[in-house]
Amino acid sequence: MKIAVLSCIHGNYEALNAVLLDLEQHKAEKIYCLGDLVGYGPYPNAVVEMIRSLDIPTCQGCWDEDIVEGLNACECSYPSLLAEQRGKLAHEWTHERIYPEVRDYLAQLPLSLREGDLCFTHGSPQNQHEYLLPEMNAFAALERVLSTGANTLFCGHTHVPYVRTLEAGSIRLRVDYKGESGEETVFTTPLRRIVNVGSVGEPRHGRPNATYVLYDTETDHVQLREVEYDYQKTCAAIIEQGLPPIFAWRLARGLEFAERADDPSHICER
Amino acid sequence: MWAILSGIEGNLTAYEAVLRDLKRQSVEIEALYILGDILGLQGPVEALLERLQSPQGGERTPQICAGFWEDQYLQMQGWGGGQPEAALSQYGSNVLMELEKRVPRSCLDWLRSLPFGFLELDCLLVHGSSVSVSDELSPQTPPWQLLDYLVRVEANFLFCGRLGQCFSVQLQNSQISSQVTTLDQPLIEQKATSSPRQIIGVGSVGRVSGLARYTLFYPTTGQIRCRTVEYAPNP
Ligand SMILES: [Zn+2]
Ligand SMILES: [Zn+2]
Repeated sequence: MKIAVLSCIHGNYEALNAVLLDLEQHKAEKIYCLGDLVGYGPYPNAVVEMIRSLDIPTCQGCWDEDIVEGLNACECSYPSLLAEQRGKLAHEWTHERIYPEVRDYLAQLPLSLREGDLCFTHGSPQNQHEYLLPEMNAFAALERVLSTGANTLFCGHTHVPYVRTLEAGSIRLRVDYKGESGEETVFTTPLRRIVNVGSVGEPRHGRPNATYVLYDTETDHVQLREVEYDYQKTCAAIIEQGLPPIFAWRLARGLEFAERADDPSHICER
Repeated sequence: MWAILSGIEGNLTAYEAVLRDLKRQSVEIEALYILGDILGLQGPVEALLERLQSPQGGERTPQICAGFWEDQYLQMQGWGGGQPEAALSQYGSNVLMELEKRVPRSCLDWLRSLPFGFLELDCLLVHGSSVSVSDELSPQTPPWQLLDYLVRVEANFLFCGRLGQCFSVQLQNSQISSQVTTLDQPLIEQKATSSPRQIIGVGSVGRVSGLARYTLFYPTTGQIRCRTVEYAPNP
């Protein structure tokens, strides 16, 4: 079966439609969404309605959580101070326009989903705000996958897609317990994989195109997809609707301007 | 040399026994850490708190962080934004009443001021894990999880107290291969290795009546000693 996995639509209805068309052409039979349906973009309600009407199993993203819980939910919702200032404007804008039933829907989204040996989550299994960057310490990355019990962990949140395979790991350990010194044992870590599916509506890989992932459960093949669409339409809507123009500028370039994490490993200790 | 304690749980007699044992050590104690669970079900806390705050003749002032019981007590008093569910599920429905009886209200501010842990040299000192005071690390905890707790804070030693037992897990020469595929760059292959690291359970001073356990640590050599002190418990 072919599965399509999307994340970080961020109110970009044009991009979502383009991706839905692309995955249909590639005969994806099932769709998973890893959250961040709202924020930054001009059509948060329409995006949520589309996801709901297609019955797409969805996890809660960092933006979805913040819209529900209020920004005070986490002081460290933003990767940097500059991102925070802009993010706050977008938050207020979204907060004012979102329908009550959309808020209710976002509130009840689960933090992760499971299907067979696959796990789906927004940031990391423990936290929607954690960035699993491709250069993260390999042991820490492995822990994120192993903690779920799944073989492959699908995530988003960084807006840049990648596939990371972790293999041939070994940890030598010696245990002293109850006054006895144990033998040295070797723990071999199993092969695991992290698939970051990028971002549909707010890509940061250097081009404005929408990104998502196709996964074939039979062949175990992961395909990073990049889909062109009329992003100028979204850019125009961002400005028309009174959102900070920087979001249009950023979308047109696919840049992570001001969004580079000061401390990507930081986790909110709420 | 550092003395690292945890889990006094209101047992002042046990704490006094440990202090006496520390005085008998030939090497100078440079730091005294208490990794939480000052509060607990083993005895009233008031006199213990006073003792902690007034070190006598050459004793080090203890550096104290929050533990499981402090966290649960604060939750119970409406701080921390949750319910003391862990205590209820692990110790039964009477536990809150029992705790309330032993803890003076006046120490609330002091409890709230306790740090989560200490990061000193290449050592992390906490009650539970680098993530939560309720995590109970033990020799049975999967090694990849233990390694992650250390990697998160870039420490080589993690001292913890939640299990209430002395133990040590040494993680040596860990390695792993990683391959990253992106849209644009060619395949990036990496081999990561991790220097030797160690998780140490420091024992519990007050949980077992008549038998106090704590840990001595030599930061310069990395040597670790679990001390067991027998004492006559209060009748
Ligand atoms: Zn996002
Ligand atoms: Zn996010």
